[in-house]
Amino acid sequence: MSADIQRACRIDIEDFEGPLDLLLFLIRRDELDVTTIHVAEVASQYLKYIREAEDLNLDIAGEYLVMAATLTSMKSRLLLPVERALMEDTEDPMEALMRHLVLYKAFKEVASELRESESIWRDVFTPPGERARYEEDVIEVDPGQTSLLDLLLALENITEKNAPPPQHRIHKPLLSLTECVSALDKLLPLNTTRDFRDALGESTDHAIVVSFFVSVLELVRRRWLTAEQSYPFADIMMKRKEERWEMNA
Amino acid sequence: MLDQLARQIEALLVATESPVTLSRICELTGCGTESAEQAVLRIEAELSSGGHAIVVARLAGGYRIVTDPDLGFVVGQLFEGKRHSRLSRASLETLAVIAYRQPATRAQVEAVRGVNSDSAMRTLLERDLIKIAGRQETPGRPLLYGTTSRFLEYFGLSNLEHLPRMDEMENLLKLSAEDIERMASELSGEESDQSI
Repeated sequence: MSADIQRACRIDIEDFEGPLDLLLFLIRRDELDVTTIHVAEVASQYLKYIREAEDLNLDIAGEYLVMAATLTSMKSRLLLPVERALMEDTEDPMEALMRHLVLYKAFKEVASELRESESIWRDVFTPPGERARYEEDVIEVDPGQTSLLDLLLALENITEKNAPPPQHRIHKPLLSLTECVSALDKLLPLNTTRDFRDALGESTDHAIVVSFFVSVLELVRRRWLTAEQSYPFADIMMKRKEERWEMNA
Repeated sequence: MLDQLARQIEALLVATESPVTLSRICELTGCGTESAEQAVLRIEAELSSGGHAIVVARLAGGYRIVTDPDLGFVVGQLFEGKRHSRLSRASLETLAVIAYRQPATRAQVEAVRGVNSDSAMRTLLERDLIKIAGRQETPGRPLLYGTTSRFLEYFGLSNLEHLPRMDEMENLLKLSAEDIERMASELSGEESDQSI
């Protein structure tokens, strides 16, 4: 199949507003009456069309395939002998489809009448009235006239207006190990026992507590100090074991 | 020459933002319904005998003065690039179903059209041609949609009774009401109503 024909088929299926539209087209093309068409004939026409479209790897909306399945099942029903009693009980799905087609066709026709009204009334213009003068300060924006940048700028304006004044927190640097050790050296004479919390005094700065705690761990590691706790999270009792703390040794 | 009342009404029909109803005209000018109607007729006669480029349009339950559609080709140039594009076929079909069947759910629209109508409905909402008209008290409480007065103006209708083939469509809808409900419930069984 040549590329031209392929393109022609593509335009076709995209021209339809769904399976009902396609069905109506096939019925009209074959000059059939909606109410008296032969289901087998329409079904094979429809399936042929869908198969062609599939061969062309076109994206076929699910609705088209559902209709294809419905028509296939109707067609197969016609081939099978069915008990009279059963037939009368259930409604003929073909009839339901025909009614649906009639309904859709009516709306399609009304839609095209609305199209005519649209083109007449599109050419009608009204005086702007007092709208512009008394309207609130709202700028209507047509699609395509706003960019992402405008949105971001607007957002920035809002956030700038409502944001609290900028704050900058200056973090105290952690104390160095040497600093802590020399402080502890003074706080903790040989063979004395002291509570860690008590030794630090009033200072509650986390950075300082952590610095000291790490230093204590280091001193414990060097066996210059013992630290004991009677139970988890209890006060830490420190006891100095070594006279001389020479950090560089 | 127009009389005082007709002049007042003519001024209202020019300056108004949306069509002015007869009762509003009476309220503003202090005249009765009948004399207001008569005055509108005198305005129309004056405009047409003078060969003016403006006409009285009966729109959305009221009146307003508009330019003659024959001159659209000239006036349209003033609004080049600002005019809305024509509605797509999908949007027109969707709008037609909502207009005759309102208030209608999305599932009912899709049942009639046999295709997903999500984007068409979104366009119509954006262009203020349909609006949310409540919720249906059925499982899932789907949103109901109806047309706006902008819709009437857009198609030059004075009210919903003036929709094309109203009687025929009403009968047809009555006959197929059950079908639509059945198909719609099948549809809404498959997917829950998404709010747009």
